[in-house]
Amino acid sequence: MSLIQQVLPFFLIGARNTLIYCFVSFPLALLLGLLIAWMRSSRIAWFSSPAKIFIEVIRGTPIIAQIFLIYYGLGAILANYNLSIYDNAWTAGIAILAINYAAFEAEVFRAGFLSVEHGQTEAALSLGMSSGQNFFRIVLPQAIPLMIPPFVNDFIYMLKDSAILSVISATELTSVLQFFVFRNSSQTIPLYALAIALYLLMALPISFVARWYERRLRAAL
Amino acid sequence: MQQTQTITGVEPRTRSWLPVINALYYVVLALLLLGFGYYLFLNLSLITLYLPFLLQAAGITIGISVVSMLLAVIFGLIGALARLSRFAPLRWIAIVYVEVIRGTPIFVQLLVWYYGIGQLLSNHGFDPYTLVFNIMTIFQSNSLVPLAFSGFFYGVIGLSFAYGAYLTEVFRTGIESVNKGQTEAALSLGMNSRQSMRHIVLPQAIRITIPPFTNYFITLIQDSALLTVLGVAELEQTTGAFAGPLINPNQKLFIYILGAMIYLAICYPLSLVSRFLEGRLGRAYQTSGDKMDALKADMLDSDMLGKQVVSFYEDKSENE
Repeated sequence: MSLIQQVLPFFLIGARNTLIYCFVSFPLALLLGLLIAWMRSSRIAWFSSPAKIFIEVIRGTPIIAQIFLIYYGLGAILANYNLSIYDNAWTAGIAILAINYAAFEAEVFRAGFLSVEHGQTEAALSLGMSSGQNFFRIVLPQAIPLMIPPFVNDFIYMLKDSAILSVISATELTSVLQFFVFRNSSQTIPLYALAIALYLLMALPISFVARWYERRLRAAL
Repeated sequence: MQQTQTITGVEPRTRSWLPVINALYYVVLALLLLGFGYYLFLNLSLITLYLPFLLQAAGITIGISVVSMLLAVIFGLIGALARLSRFAPLRWIAIVYVEVIRGTPIFVQLLVWYYGIGQLLSNHGFDPYTLVFNIMTIFQSNSLVPLAFSGFFYGVIGLSFAYGAYLTEVFRTGIESVNKGQTEAALSLGMNSRQSMRHIVLPQAIRITIPPFTNYFITLIQDSALLTVLGVAELEQTTGAFAGPLINPNQKLFIYILGAMIYLAICYPLSLVSRFLEGRLGRAYQTSGDKMDALKADMLDSDMLGKQVVSFYEDKSENE
């Protein structure tokens, strides 16, 4: 018990940093995802093909490989140009989480926009709305409620994937855990239990709220 | 498709320039591919030096993934049966299992299995490496046991335990999606509950679970890269081990790109297969007209959400 009391403040700082990583990366991922979704559904190959390639490459490679590639691979190139101050665990971690999740959010955006029936767009256009008006007044308001559950789900995935950032010594919960595990190697189980409890504490409330919202939405549809 | 009508005095908006621009794009794309090929060619010496080892490591990655998936199916089936059982404590155990696994990172679970539980067990006299080493000594071939065998062992257990929880939900939704009337009909025909499960429910449920199953297999291959931290010499660990000591930053970056490309070469064909299966199996269940409702329902389906199964939508939208 005294061990847990001793390490708890550090674990809480770690949990805070995990949340900072996610709350910074997720809006970036949403913005980038919206851009990619827009490119992906364009009929002009100049836009759609790069977006398709981006999505396939990101989805086809493990996030840990991307982390190593950005942090060590690109970092070495940056160091070559005396830019190594821009290659630290915060920038690389946030960039990787944002880039990786942008590919997934793009698909969610696209599915959300597709789920609004095309007849509505036709009706809006035939009423004389411009395509921008149609998007912001007709399609988006109907698509957003449907997109919220997948977004929340992906946010929880991001919360969990941020643990992998400990391989580049980011200062989030798992790094703190590993630091203390190597310091008290005789008594590791309480430390692991504490970390798991903190992760559950962060993830479960979000997922319960998401499920409640989902049920309400399903009833409304 | 939009229909254009000519109104007198208004020029119809043509997009005849679009195909030209698109054709130009493919020229540029071909040039870019050639450029990438030239980049590979420039690093040909690195490829011939490292690729054989990387491919060997990729074989280990695939082996780990396949074994983990087989074990995960067993965990998942047990979990799903427990989740649907009439005995309440079993149900609670299954719920806690799924919630705890889904609420915590796989990375941390692997650390717990290897450094936490593994160390605890080895303090009490159970060490997978020593055990297998001793067994192989009987067959006079203990040199076959890799030094990181404990990492393999706990890594595979951790991966399969985690994916067992995901598959529990997949199997549960699969079984629940079979109409209850079918079970009732089977029971009224005189089958017992096991027979109806075996001959009626499961064959239909498996059909539905195949697409999410393949998607989970792809993510499992990607998550097997996390075994790097347990010292298992799979693809990512090997990539890092080769790239780390290189001083030339371009060469370092190239090795990381090469490793990522091998993952892509493994996962992309699989994702094409899974999309094909989704298209095939999904079509059987689609009644005409309510495709939009089906899409909406899928978006709300908690097991068909977000990261894992995004490709599900792709096929549907392609049919538009």
